[in-house]
Amino acid sequence: MIESPARNPSLAWREVDGEIVIISPEDSQVHELNETASLIWKYADGIRSCDEIAAELAAEFDVALEAARADAAELIEALEEKRLLLVAAPVAG
Amino acid sequence: MPCDARLILGVGLVFAQPLKPDSDRPLQISIGSIPFSLFIPEELLLQQALKRYREFTAALGPGLPIVLRPKEQDEREPTAFSYDLDDASVILRRSGAEFRGVRHEYALDSLLRILLTMMLLPRRGFLLHAATIVRNGRAYVFAGRSGAGKSTVASLSPEGSVLTDEISLLRFTDGCWQAHGTPFWGEFRAAGRNDRFPLAGIYSLVQAPEDRVEAISKKEILRALLPCVLFFTSDKDANEALLQTLVGLIGQVPCQRLHFRRGTEFWKEVAP
Repeated sequence: MIESPARNPSLAWREVDGEIVIISPEDSQVHELNETASLIWKYADGIRSCDEIAAELAAEFDVALEAARADAAELIEALEEKRLLLVAAPVAG
Repeated sequence: MPCDARLILGVGLVFAQPLKPDSDRPLQISIGSIPFSLFIPEELLLQQALKRYREFTAALGPGLPIVLRPKEQDEREPTAFSYDLDDASVILRRSGAEFRGVRHEYALDSLLRILLTMMLLPRRGFLLHAATIVRNGRAYVFAGRSGAGKSTVASLSPEGSVLTDEISLLRFTDGCWQAHGTPFWGEFRAAGRNDRFPLAGIYSLVQAPEDRVEAISKKEILRALLPCVLFFTSDKDANEALLQTLVGLIGQVPCQRLHFRRGTEFWKEVAP
C-alpha cells in the first residue's frame, strides 16, 4: 500500500457540497468521490502517511482507529488503481 | 440590434450591402459580448459568413483578430491553444487566432465554436448543448445531448421565444448569469438573436411518460451538465476553470431535472 498517498497533480477537481468531483483532462473522465473518499482526497497531500489519514477519518467519523485504518486502506487502494492518487515509494530507513 | 439590411464591416464603419472586407477591414462580429474581427480572403466564404452571422455583426471596435489561411503555414509564434477538426484547424496565440484549411461555412462555424469556448473560459462563460427559451424576460435552459429533446422543447415553445435550439452560451455578465443568443443553431436553422437574458433556471432533459420537475443535488446536476459542455482542451488549468465556473453557476442558478414527455404541458411544471 502507498506510504504517503498524493493527489495526482494532473487532475482538475472541485469540492461540491462537501464531496469531491474530479476531471481527468486527458480522457475527460469524471470521477465523483463519496464523503469518506473525499476526506481521504483532501488529506492525501503526499506528506501525511496512511496511518495519519486513518486517524483523521477516525476523528471525523467517530469510529475506532482500526476500522478507520481498514477503510482508509481499501479506499486508498481503489483511488490508486484509478490513478487518482499516486504511489509514493516508502522512505527507506 | 443589428438588422439584415446593413452589415458592419471594419472598425466602427457601417456600410450598406454588398461589401467585402479586405485585409484592413475585417468582418466584425460579437458573440456572447466577445468581439471578433474575421479576415476572410475568399469571396464565397465571406458572403456565406455575412449571411450566417448577420444578426451578430457589431461595431464594438476591434475584436480578437481571426485570420483565415491555407492549411500549410510555418509556425512562428508559440500557440496558446490549437485544435484540429478534420482538415481544418484553429490556432490561438497572444496576437490573435488563425483558422486554417477552412473550405466551407460549416467548418468556419465549427472552428468559431471551438475558439469561443477558449475565449469564454476566463470570462466565466461556456457553451452548452442546450435549447434556451425566453419567457417573461427570463431564460430557461434545457440541456441534453443529441436526442434528449432540445429541438422538441424549442418547437413546442411560442414563436419568437427561442433564443437557441441547439447550443446555448451561458456567461456571468453584469452581476448575474445570463443566456446569450448564438448563431449556432440546430434543426431550426435560424440566424439567431444577438440578445441576452438573465437565467431563470437550467433543466436537464430526461424523456419520460410524465412531465415532472425533480430537485437533484449539485453533484447530480454537475454530472448531467458536464457531458453537455462544449470543451476541447486537455489542459489542466482550463479544466479547473471550467469546473469552477460550473460549480459557481449551479450554486447561483436553480438547476433541476425535467422529466419530459414531449408535449407543451411541461411549461406548467417549469413556469406554472
